[in-house]
Amino acid sequence: MTPEWLLRSEGYAPRSDRDAFIDKSIRTFLSILSRIRSQTRGTQRKAFVDARVKLVSLLLLILFTSLSHRLIFVGLCGTVVLVILSLSRGEVILDILKIALAVAGFTFVIFLPSIFWGNLVGAVTVTAKVLICVAAARFLAATTEWRALTRALGAFRIPDLFILVLDFTLRYIILLGALSLDMLYALKLRSVGRNKDKTGSLSGIAGTLFLKSRDMAEDTYSAMECRGFTGTYRARRLPGLRVSDAFVLAADVAFVCAFAFIGA
Amino acid sequence: MHIPDNYLSPATCAVMGAAMVPVWTMAVRKVTQEFDKARIPHMGIGAAFAFLIMMFNVPVPGGTTAHALGGTLLAVVLGPWSACICVSIALLVQALLFGDGGILSFGANCFNMAFVCPFLGYFIYRFISQRVKGQTGEYVGLIAGSYIGINMAALTDAIEFGLQPLLAHNAAGQPLYCPYPLSVSIPAMLIPHLAVAGVVEAAFTVAIVSFIRRVSPGMIHEGAKTRIRPIFAVLVALICLSPLGLLAAGSAWGEWGPDEIASVANGGKALGFVPAGMANGFKFDAFLQDYSVKGLPDIIGYIISAVAGAAILVILFRLFSLIGKSSGQRKRV
Repeated sequence: MTPEWLLRSEGYAPRSDRDAFIDKSIRTFLSILSRIRSQTRGTQRKAFVDARVKLVSLLLLILFTSLSHRLIFVGLCGTVVLVILSLSRGEVILDILKIALAVAGFTFVIFLPSIFWGNLVGAVTVTAKVLICVAAARFLAATTEWRALTRALGAFRIPDLFILVLDFTLRYIILLGALSLDMLYALKLRSVGRNKDKTGSLSGIAGTLFLKSRDMAEDTYSAMECRGFTGTYRARRLPGLRVSDAFVLAADVAFVCAFAFIGA
Repeated sequence: MHIPDNYLSPATCAVMGAAMVPVWTMAVRKVTQEFDKARIPHMGIGAAFAFLIMMFNVPVPGGTTAHALGGTLLAVVLGPWSACICVSIALLVQALLFGDGGILSFGANCFNMAFVCPFLGYFIYRFISQRVKGQTGEYVGLIAGSYIGINMAALTDAIEFGLQPLLAHNAAGQPLYCPYPLSVSIPAMLIPHLAVAGVVEAAFTVAIVSFIRRVSPGMIHEGAKTRIRPIFAVLVALICLSPLGLLAAGSAWGEWGPDEIASVANGGKALGFVPAGMANGFKFDAFLQDYSVKGLPDIIGYIISAVAGAAILVILFRLFSLIGKSSGQRKRV
């Protein structure tokens, strides 16, 4: 026979608790992970311009934009950035503009006092420079795979060990990020009603993450030794340049000439 | 054909702006409902085409200059409603960034160039190409549509100018805004457009439409093959050729600055005064005024303006296609 207490309907409503900080952490982790994943997804499609060429062009653009004192040249750089943006997809443009406009807006606010003192041209020039540099840097990050970027660093005589560490960092950000995401979900699911110990569990997550990362590092090192790692790491070299790269390099030369004539 | 500020009385500007509001509303509704979202970036390319075509000034009889519009071209390729939006946004970029066409007179400029020209041109093209079968009908339709479209736009433009002395004058009868009556403005606008600009417009329209039809028919008919690269190549070619527009010296009729207008001769007699509304009217300094960069040769300034304008239009429509996408997804949910 069914006991009476089993038949009684229960009105248990768990008391609501503040867990906004968990949601926020989850959201941050998710956004970082999805950004990294979206950048590594485009592996199959061959990039139009080599990462090394892109990196050189970006450095030139930022260097000469910052060096120039003339609004004309800054306007020219702005036109270059506009052309680059117009060749990208809508999502990429939106992503770049959001960040670049926010940073440039902040710069403009900082320069407001100088405008009141009569230096409008200076304020506009600096704001435009910030807009151009941030947009260009963001464009590189948004359209280049991280692996290709770290490898491109090798072409600039950056020590291989440094590239190895960078590669590992990126990989571990994904692995450990996924791990902490799982733990955060677990904490959220297990906290029914009011859970006073939630903040304590969060430090537990951090500690577990640390232990786990040490284990992973040891495992990776053993795996590398098993495969014959002797302490020197050679980053894989990138293939040679193509016609499109030569075209971009020619544009770089033209850009430097333009700086020599009208920028300085 | 870009009416600058202070040539039309504020009341005329308000009326023309109000007339465009329902057209724009309808155009946005039509495009969001019927236009494939993936094709919205094509509208950006179309707007860039219109922007560049308008930079090719040609010298016309009478010492002034005129330019083609590309309204019928866009209407045939993308449909009249999308053409209306494309040309309107190209005009907005021209007004804000290059000081070509006024801010207050934006509504009037859109009425002439983004409404009258593409719609009339499109309906004439359809009328002819549906009745005359085959290639001949297509070409005759394109030529007639583009030629009549730009000339009707010039006519409405001239009527807006010519009504000003009647609508706004001071106690002495001296006009406050555009000083020329209909008897002057209509021949002054129509003769150059009938003789030269209309022919240039028809040539541009036939050349570009037949090129798109051969290379990337998907831009015109949904489902067919679309290739964007050759179209971009044509854009780049237009940009490189744009300094040809500088060969024609002098301002276009009705686009003089306040400093020029007093000495403009008409029938052998200079005007001799600056209309009051122009001398102390609304003034807006664009960043790249008259498509030139201070301190750079005109040709380079013109090319930079062409590149920047075309790039901005393409970027804008790529962003618009995102808005379209997200609202489409919301509908499905």
